[in-house]
Amino acid sequence: MTTDDINIASGTSGVLRGSGRDRRASYLAAFGAVAVTAFVLALLPIWIGDSRTLMGVAVAGLLFACYAIAFNLIFGSTEQLFLAVGALAGIGAYTSAIASDRLGIPFPLAMMLATGLAMLIGGGFSWIAVRRSLGIIFTGIVTLTFSLAFDNLLLGQRGLTGGETGIVVDAGSDTFLRQQIPPYYVFLGLVIVYLVGYVLLHRSHIGWAFRTLRDDGVAAELAGVDVARYRIYAGAIGGGMLGFAGALWAHVEGFISPSTFTFVHVDVPVVVMLVFGGIGTLMGPVVGSAVFTFLGEILASFSQMRLIVEGALLIALFLLLPHGVVPVLRSGASGLWRRLRPSRS
Amino acid sequence: MTAVVLDGIVLGLQFGLLGVGLTIVYGMGGVLNLAYGSMAVVTATVVSITMRSGWPAGPAVLLGIVTAAGFGLLLNLTIMKPVYRRRGEDRVLLSLLLTIGVAFIVDGFLVWRYPIEALSLSVGGDPVLILGVPMRTGSLLASAITILAGGALILFFRATTTGKAVRSVIQDEIGARLCGVNPAAVRRLIFTLSGALVGLVAVTQSMTSPVPISAGFEITILALLVTVVGGLGSIRGAFLAGLILGMVNAMSSFYIGAYVTTIILLIAAALTILLRPSGLFGERT
Repeated sequence: MTTDDINIASGTSGVLRGSGRDRRASYLAAFGAVAVTAFVLALLPIWIGDSRTLMGVAVAGLLFACYAIAFNLIFGSTEQLFLAVGALAGIGAYTSAIASDRLGIPFPLAMMLATGLAMLIGGGFSWIAVRRSLGIIFTGIVTLTFSLAFDNLLLGQRGLTGGETGIVVDAGSDTFLRQQIPPYYVFLGLVIVYLVGYVLLHRSHIGWAFRTLRDDGVAAELAGVDVARYRIYAGAIGGGMLGFAGALWAHVEGFISPSTFTFVHVDVPVVVMLVFGGIGTLMGPVVGSAVFTFLGEILASFSQMRLIVEGALLIALFLLLPHGVVPVLRSGASGLWRRLRPSRS
Repeated sequence: MTAVVLDGIVLGLQFGLLGVGLTIVYGMGGVLNLAYGSMAVVTATVVSITMRSGWPAGPAVLLGIVTAAGFGLLLNLTIMKPVYRRRGEDRVLLSLLLTIGVAFIVDGFLVWRYPIEALSLSVGGDPVLILGVPMRTGSLLASAITILAGGALILFFRATTTGKAVRSVIQDEIGARLCGVNPAAVRRLIFTLSGALVGLVAVTQSMTSPVPISAGFEITILALLVTVVGGLGSIRGAFLAGLILGMVNAMSSFYIGAYVTTIILLIAAALTILLRPSGLFGERT
């Protein structure tokens, strides 16, 4: 069997495919893409570091990149439509804030606690979805009801969450997390960690299982892949990633309110970003969140227009670019590569 | 106690009609229309604006409902075309995402242009005593209209040829086509009907409490809950689920408190999905 045969046999989905030399090459390509992204984004404060507002926007953009990577792991890799991205991040944020400020737990420990709780709930969703064999749509509806219930709970439990007005988070206020530039690098680091984690996970046996169950769940089950277990892994890991990002945000921002974590403000933009970038691709979430953060900044002065533009983009994207921009860019790049060395094909 | 039950019935009837409008669209081949609530908001805006410019209530309401119906038809003729080319879960997912986009555009536009608009129809007259409970005429009129519309719908689906054609498409699209039913025509009809229904619900709802322009998403979610509890695609189920959820809503907001009500409603819906994924009357797919 030549490498080409293996390439065809293993399908074309996923970040890494093929084996041997080819796999090593795509592995290098994946890490190269992460490194280039890290480098470019690390330079950003040189231009906008003076502006407090712009730095805030950039940090929010990185937060959404974290959300989108986690959502990509859950939905892109294992086809579980979790419409509770905001709620899971909110659980992380509120748990960490309340545990550190009310119970006096040191905030790094509180963040771990929050991550664990979000992991448990994310894994729980997957467990329920697998046990009751809910399809994509019903998983979506169950998690959506959870999001809405969580939002109502935040609004109702005024004593604990401050209701609609939100709560000020004290923990972390005397650290570098509240300075102007460091939070940006903290979140950039988190994005890089999530991306590297995504690559490593997809290279491990878990990644192979993800690919088989995405291509054909029934066939994967018949071939002896424990589909339930891998779905629960994805739900738990993705949930933990969301919870941790939310908790970190709470300590960086110093203030959280229910509207930061609602379905409309988090889940919908995350879906749009991921679809724009490319579901199931490594860099799709980052490209999507960067483009939409930039777009949001341009449209900031017409905040209502933003909703209209997002809606129009969502429709246009699904009709014209159902696989997102990253696969288009990638095939464009590999086409260019092939043209540069035509003798070898 | 009687008052709470009556309130629950008034609310439940409207929930039911709301669910029916969404469930018939899902029934014909798995299309989830998340721009559903936006159609209600369109009606509310049209009625409110025309009435303020001096139109009498009757024509204004009619225009509002016709607009929503036209909106439904337009959706079917434009954005749904690529959706119908897909099958199975792909179709549901694409329809869901495209209609979310539509909902964003419509809601964003309306909230931008008419930020504080809300439709509230006041029905005059003294409260009427029913089972010893004074009921507002607005609630009674709304319930009467809803019951009439529900009855007409059931009659349409049971007794007319067109209605039977629609049900045949809901049950089996390919089979219906083999029997000479044109699914494209049925879809046009259904989307128009669905728009008219949700427009009607916006009107009846505004007789008891104001319907703000920003309520589109909320209405969609409520309709989705009713539909899911009743069983996707089941008309009977939607009515029954509407009544049950209306009753749950009235009871818990009376005995427990307003904010817990929403949570109880959501938990009830989630439990139904988990215990009976096909809903009360749905067929297992």
